[in-house]
Amino acid sequence: MGVLDQIYLKAKKNPGKVAFPEAMNEKMMQAAYETGKEGYIVPVLVGDGVEIRAAVRERGYEEDIFVIVDIHEEEYKKNLIERYVSLPQTILKEKALDRRMKSPLYYAMVMQAVGEADVTFAGIDNTTGDVLLAGQMIIGLKEGIGTVSSIGLCDIPGFQGSEGTLLAIGDSAVCTDPDAKQLADIAISACDTVTALLGWEPRCAMVSYSTLGSGQGELVDKVVQAVKLANERRPELAIDGEFQFDAAISPAVAEKKVKRESKVAGKANIVIWPDLNVGNVGVKLIQQFGHADAYGPMLQGFNKVVCDCSRGAPVSEIKGNIVISAVRAAGSRQEEAGKGGCE
Amino acid sequence: MERKELEAQVISMVAASYKRDAADLLMATLFKEDLGGASIQMVALVSEIENELDVELMLADASGCATIGDLVGLIEGEM
Repeated sequence: MGVLDQIYLKAKKNPGKVAFPEAMNEKMMQAAYETGKEGYIVPVLVGDGVEIRAAVRERGYEEDIFVIVDIHEEEYKKNLIERYVSLPQTILKEKALDRRMKSPLYYAMVMQAVGEADVTFAGIDNTTGDVLLAGQMIIGLKEGIGTVSSIGLCDIPGFQGSEGTLLAIGDSAVCTDPDAKQLADIAISACDTVTALLGWEPRCAMVSYSTLGSGQGELVDKVVQAVKLANERRPELAIDGEFQFDAAISPAVAEKKVKRESKVAGKANIVIWPDLNVGNVGVKLIQQFGHADAYGPMLQGFNKVVCDCSRGAPVSEIKGNIVISAVRAAGSRQEEAGKGGCE
Repeated sequence: MERKELEAQVISMVAASYKRDAADLLMATLFKEDLGGASIQMVALVSEIENELDVELMLADASGCATIGDLVGLIEGEM
């Protein structure tokens, strides 16, 4: 069974509520409808209720598949605002929030923040910048994390890694030129993301052109510093480096190049690139030469799961990302419940 | 609101968002070079401005301000 099949199975067992603030978009509504109809999620369409209902009828969808939330319904909005401002560490007050909630994107995220939805799924009409801003303003970042970043999940035919054909990589999409602290944030968030989504025990390699001092220079220093910071902040996570890519994923190379104990060298299931140049080129190489399917980017660092999909994405890709987001959210909830805390 | 009063309020909000001493901040203080914060600090600042001054700012516009004085000018234009 492929990774996506496993994720789809997980989603079906416990369908999450996914809020769609771009419900009027034809591709988005179709993806929401199909994933809802197939039982993977409960699609919550957020916007002008009259317009949405008319579009649902016109496009021939069964209305009872959706939960439709009309942003003009004052009582419900008031209730959401009251609940939101009583949450700890929210930064907008009633009046400013009320103004922002005229936008379905902000409205959906407020619903998510108070627990009326598990995921906010957007990005097809809104820009990535819009989604990131709304996420930072309404959902907020996880404690100790100062950077929004992303990871992707690659399914690489013929690759025999520590998770079979799968490898998580990041950040290939969001954080352009991270400093050491930001790079540590990316690694820590990536460990949490794969744990929530796939239940893996994360083994995270921070890669460079050097393995444990074989090369020198400020590009290497940044990665070394990032490993140190990540280990100080989350000592329970297996985050190690700096490693060259082959030393990170190949046991044979690791045996030659890594002359100390490492839980990660040669068996990494997460690879963290030093910057976006490497990340973007890296994922393209994996796709072009490795003929890999790459899922994502999955945004990480937020208190809850926010998904920004590509504007050019076809419905099939949007559906995959919706289901992945819902499973991540369920995984995060379980993890938090296990810790006895709340997000 | 008088310009001087607005300047004082904005200085106080910048100090809180960027965790600086308000006494060290001037209208000419540069966001990038002098304060060097991450985008999350600008998000906190824009949220605080919206809460306290009852204006809605685009983050892109606020992020485009080189100095605190530029930000005060942007807010004045929205009030």
